[in-house]
Amino acid sequence: MVVHLQVSTRNVGNATVIDVIGDIDLYNSPEMRKALMAVLKEQNASRAVINLTRVRYIDSSGVASLVEGLKVARERNARYILFGLSKAAREVLELSRLIKVFEVYENEEQALGAT
Amino acid sequence: MDFSFKLELVSDPELLCVVRGAVQQLAAIVGFTEEDCRAITLAVDEVLTNVIRHSYGNRHDQPIEILCRRLPLDSGIEFLVVDRGRSADPDKLKGRNLDDVRPGGLGMHLIAQIMDTVHYEPLPDRNQFRLIKYRKSPHPVGAESSPESSGRGG
Repeated sequence: MVVHLQVSTRNVGNATVIDVIGDIDLYNSPEMRKALMAVLKEQNASRAVINLTRVRYIDSSGVASLVEGLKVARERNARYILFGLSKAAREVLELSRLIKVFEVYENEEQALGAT
Repeated sequence: MDFSFKLELVSDPELLCVVRGAVQQLAAIVGFTEEDCRAITLAVDEVLTNVIRHSYGNRHDQPIEILCRRLPLDSGIEFLVVDRGRSADPDKLKGRNLDDVRPGGLGMHLIAQIMDTVHYEPLPDRNQFRLIKYRKSPHPVGAESSPESSGRGG
């Protein structure tokens, strides 16, 4: 079944959670990038928490969007957290040696509770 | 029994998910582990992404052929990705220093990390990317293969 990308945001306490659903590839990574930039630049989120629980595939263009979000967050002194990485997403971040540059948690509770 | 499988498609990124489905199943038929199947799928997807972005300059109506072959004795799987666009700069096929954390330039690194053979060949009328993954990698874990290029670069 083809799962088109869905990206939505919600506010939880002082965090903005970005829920991403679907595969992230060259076709739809611009959509995720746009959502990340909107949260960080237009909403000025101080804590962006990206929910990847329902992302079963991510390619280098998706990883590039996540890295771009991280750089913008750092420029704005915003917290930038990922959680719920699938095996596939974790493998890609490990292969690209980027897993260590992100703040990663297993689930939403841990991500929101991170101090 | 050895098999060959051929896909012909246009350079539309919306079709990448279809190719991924086929590649993952083909790798599974050959007997790769689930983790290897995911990795092989990623490598082929990254080659197609490079073709669409760089060889065809994001035009979405250009021809791409993917030929897949099971190697004898189930020893591995080979993919040949053929396009008729611009040849790429060989320097861009080598991947970049990953210590520099920035968006972009990760695709070639991923391909080289995953596959045992990565060979780019620009020919007068087409460009060919040849990828091979063996079931039992002859390379030690963590070793990187580098893409070989020939001719006027790719």
